[in-house]
Amino acid sequence: MWKGLSVITASPSPIVVVLSGSMEPAFQRGDLLFLWNNPAPDHVGSVVVYEVKDKPIPIVHRIVRKFGTGPDTKLLTKGDNNNADDTELFAKGQDYLGPDDIIGGVVGYIPFVGYVTILLSEYPWLKTAMLGLMGLLVILQRE
Amino acid sequence: MAQDALDKLRDLADGQIDFEGQKLAELLSTLLLSVFAVLSFMVGFTLQDIKLAVYIGLVGTCLTFLVVVPPWPFFTRHPIKWLDAYASRSLVAIETTTE
Amino acid sequence: MFNSLNRIQNTFGFFTTVAFVLASFIALSDFVTPRAPSAGTIVPESVQVVKGRPHYYSSKKEEYAIVKFSLDASLESLFTWNTKQVFVYVTVEWPEPGADNVTNSAVIWDQIITSPSADHLSNLSPVALRKLKRSAEGKSIDPSRGKLKIKNQKPKYQITHPTGKLAEAEDVRLRLHYSVQPWFGILTFDQESDIGLWKAFKGGVSELFKLPALKKKTTT
Repeated sequence: MWKGLSVITASPSPIVVVLSGSMEPAFQRGDLLFLWNNPAPDHVGSVVVYEVKDKPIPIVHRIVRKFGTGPDTKLLTKGDNNNADDTELFAKGQDYLGPDDIIGGVVGYIPFVGYVTILLSEYPWLKTAMLGLMGLLVILQRE
Repeated sequence: MAQDALDKLRDLADGQIDFEGQKLAELLSTLLLSVFAVLSFMVGFTLQDIKLAVYIGLVGTCLTFLVVVPPWPFFTRHPIKWLDAYASRSLVAIETTTE
Repeated sequence: MFNSLNRIQNTFGFFTTVAFVLASFIALSDFVTPRAPSAGTIVPESVQVVKGRPHYYSSKKEEYAIVKFSLDASLESLFTWNTKQVFVYVTVEWPEPGADNVTNSAVIWDQIITSPSADHLSNLSPVALRKLKRSAEGKSIDPSRGKLKIKNQKPKYQITHPTGKLAEAEDVRLRLHYSVQPWFGILTFDQESDIGLWKAFKGGVSELFKLPALKKKTTT
């Protein structure tokens, strides 16, 4: 199903969890975003997820400037909650994003649902606690 | 001793109910959750209040868990009547004659 | 459903289904709510082009355009129970010289208008937040926040171009946009034609104007 969704949306990861507060109050940490990349909405004001070379985590920000069309389009993005635009976040010497850097535009939204994944990745002891809980259940359960 | 305590704890955590109770629990969880969802939407939409809608949904869900999860007496009103254990019959005396 | 753990699992499973269906219905309720946003005026008040550096330590010099503007708009109908915030923004649009059908566009000003249901998430200062909350005391939605009247507004962002050239650009105009962020469902934007019960955004585009020649910095 994930593969199918990937094909339809043309995005390698059609559903992503928001990890930072840079788009608050629109998106909070843990909110779930549905992406579309077939083609990605790239008008000024739309929210896109992009990847920067050598940076492992994709960023979701709003397009604030757009120059040109087609493969030569130059895009500048900014987080609603940030004072400055994203020039500092781009790769060294990179002033704008191209269409290839975009891995999808945000089309759908569900709040909070992805928070569990954030908790599990940021508090590793939670995994241990969950394992312990499961062990306790096994003890308390008659076979 | 430790075994006894563990057994008591197991009983508490287990919360077994009878077959009729299981049917009832299934029906109750489906019905309660659905009714609260419909209520949540209708109230939220009419009053245009999303917070109230979410609140009704959450309260309804908590209530459903409270009603369905513990082994309330109304889930255990039809205990299964097991056949007498074989062991009790093995006590029947066998007459033997000795010459 | 024979023991408690089993009942927790089953009830939780059905809860997720019900929650998803409920969220879908809330999302769909947007489509049965009419929208008729409109803008009265949007006009540039003063326009200037200056030269400056992109960063303090940059050797390159670029041209920047600074556009002051006034506008008024009625976006009340965008605020429903499923509206988390409306992002209102003004862009400057101008055609790329020597290229057909290529438009450059840059945001010069934006504003986040939260619904009362999202006020607590707002990134305003504590004082402003308290004032905002008080303005909607007892209200679950507050469409009056969609009424915009802005006079001689300084831009929040300057305009640039990758070539560094902007002065005397022609056929420039201002355009007002909005982006509706829901609590559940799809993100929507100002539209050019009617879709179902949602009317196209009326107005919101200024007359064409021309960017002036480069202003020489006068040092006093």
